[in-house]
Amino acid sequence: MDTTDLTTAQAGSKTIATTTKTVLREAGIGIALIALIIVFSFTPHFLSSSNVTNILTQVTINLVLSIGMTFVILIGGIDLSVGSVLSFCAVVAGTVMTLPGLDPAVAVFLATISAIVAGIGFGLLNGLISAWWAIPSFIVTLGTLNIARGAALQVTNASTIYSFPAAFNAFGSQTFYGIPLLFLIALVLVAIGWFVLTKTVFGRVLYGIGNNEEAARLAGHNVFFYKVAAFTICGVLVGIGAIIYMARLNIASPIIGIGFELNAIAAVIIGGTSLSGGRGSIVGTLLGACIIGVLANGLILLGLSDFMRQMITGFVIILAVILDKYRERLTKA
Amino acid sequence: MKFARLIAASVLAGTLAMPAASYAADKPVVGLVMKSLANEFFKNMLEGAKAHEAKRGDYTLKAVGMQSETDVETQINAIESFITQKVDAIVVAPSDSRALVPPIKRAVDAGITVVNFDVALDDKAKQEAGLKLAFVGPDNREGAKMAGDALAKKLGAGAKVVIIEGNPGADNAAQRKLGFMDSVTAGKLDLLDSRTAHWETEEANTVFSNMLTAHPDIQGVMAANDSMVLGVVKAIEAAGKTGKIEVVGFDNIPAVQPLLKEKKLLATVDQFGQLMAANAIDKALGVVAGGKPLEGWVKTDIKLVTSDDVK
Repeated sequence: MDTTDLTTAQAGSKTIATTTKTVLREAGIGIALIALIIVFSFTPHFLSSSNVTNILTQVTINLVLSIGMTFVILIGGIDLSVGSVLSFCAVVAGTVMTLPGLDPAVAVFLATISAIVAGIGFGLLNGLISAWWAIPSFIVTLGTLNIARGAALQVTNASTIYSFPAAFNAFGSQTFYGIPLLFLIALVLVAIGWFVLTKTVFGRVLYGIGNNEEAARLAGHNVFFYKVAAFTICGVLVGIGAIIYMARLNIASPIIGIGFELNAIAAVIIGGTSLSGGRGSIVGTLLGACIIGVLANGLILLGLSDFMRQMITGFVIILAVILDKYRERLTKA
Repeated sequence: MKFARLIAASVLAGTLAMPAASYAADKPVVGLVMKSLANEFFKNMLEGAKAHEAKRGDYTLKAVGMQSETDVETQINAIESFITQKVDAIVVAPSDSRALVPPIKRAVDAGITVVNFDVALDDKAKQEAGLKLAFVGPDNREGAKMAGDALAKKLGAGAKVVIIEGNPGADNAAQRKLGFMDSVTAGKLDLLDSRTAHWETEEANTVFSNMLTAHPDIQGVMAANDSMVLGVVKAIEAAGKTGKIEVVGFDNIPAVQPLLKEKKLLATVDQFGQLMAANAIDKALGVVAGGKPLEGWVKTDIKLVTSDDVK
């Protein structure tokens, strides 16, 4: 894509210009991901089919949480509670799933519903409190982070729940042509998220609120409703994330998910979504999550020490934000 | 900070003072300072201590736990309020092997019998404070070596193994790694890689999957705790290598019992966490009753657990 193209697009219809910008934005992150893959492909095993399966498996939970986080960050919010809420959803679902005397299929179904309901509960709590009293979501979700963690410990008395139905366990490691089933589910969620954000009025209004909340209000939009909705959507995805965690690892425990929120935020930011809201996309988030996953995997294959690995991941996050600044200028030009 | 401490101390003192009046004067009072009760291991330890109090019936237990592993402040406050309460003995599992030395010194100076268990206080810090105190606890290095030796015996010399470590910087993680390394040397194992998964299931699953990609010929895994074993075993299942890679762990948590039974876990180490606080309390009460003061390192039981031990 060169500048002539861009100029033509701008001269043309406004939608084409927007699309071009989006493509350009996404292309930048995509190129970064491809560059990373090329670098790592020099290490043996990196491109082997089993390693690709591994990377996709490892990306899945973060991807699902990042989709929800994108909705929240787009309206200028943040959700620090997702790791703790994931743990709470998992122990609730785990408790339901291991109830004695339930048919395995029924148990799994009820557990899934209960995880999502628990996620919605915390999402509503986050959204209602921050929207009603106009409290920064940073503070509210710092509170619910502790509430959810405490509740998870209380429910389980700090113990790990295990021994889920064999079919559920098998479902978690199912693959189609090397692609994990759980990742395919995450991709469907990406597609839904993309559709909602780009093809519906609801999605457009979310961007509008992130850009200028007052303007959105003056335009007659019920900002309160949209804010609560964004946090609730995030809650739904956390509930689904909890079920995916359980399917992958066959346990639920009140101490899982510590720091998951930071990985999700990192994926969203690397994916080009602005922390101040109003700008960004789900496709970017998908690429951001993949960059984090590829990096974590590739650095181990390279044989780098744990400490070096942590430092490099930090550098990449900062680099991504700096690159985003340039990309912003480019797309505005 | 000071104000917060004052409030915390007075709240603690208040809750402790109330029931104190109803205690029989002749029953010794033991203050138990625990680590994070969010950790199943310490939660069980506390429950073991409570059961022990009911069983013995000749002492009164006052227990304080922390919010998180790093909540040193709560432990210091607890010790200070126990000093004010004039308890007969304090049994403490320090969250920080240096920061807890000054308050413990004050307790000893106040004539209280103090027993340090679970994690040993730092020798140098003790020396500087002029504090002489015995340590009652398991030998993590020895325990890890027992597990590592079981693996070496099963696989034989030259077997390719990896280590999944606990939190870098944590004393028990360091000791367990040393124990595994002892086994590597003694059993002439080929150590391919050693990485931390921060005690966590999901991280262990990710880290081990990636190690297995880098080294497809791994034959054995030594994990520094059983939560990480859960993640490692799932990674082995996902790679279709069940039965081809042997795993050993540490802690003998309930969640690994099925794995032991199905022989997906070769061995783990039980350090009888549930009894650990109770044992330390016994030792403290022995001294309070006029017994000989404890010295050096009083090692507590550790046991290798294999599928033979699971019914």
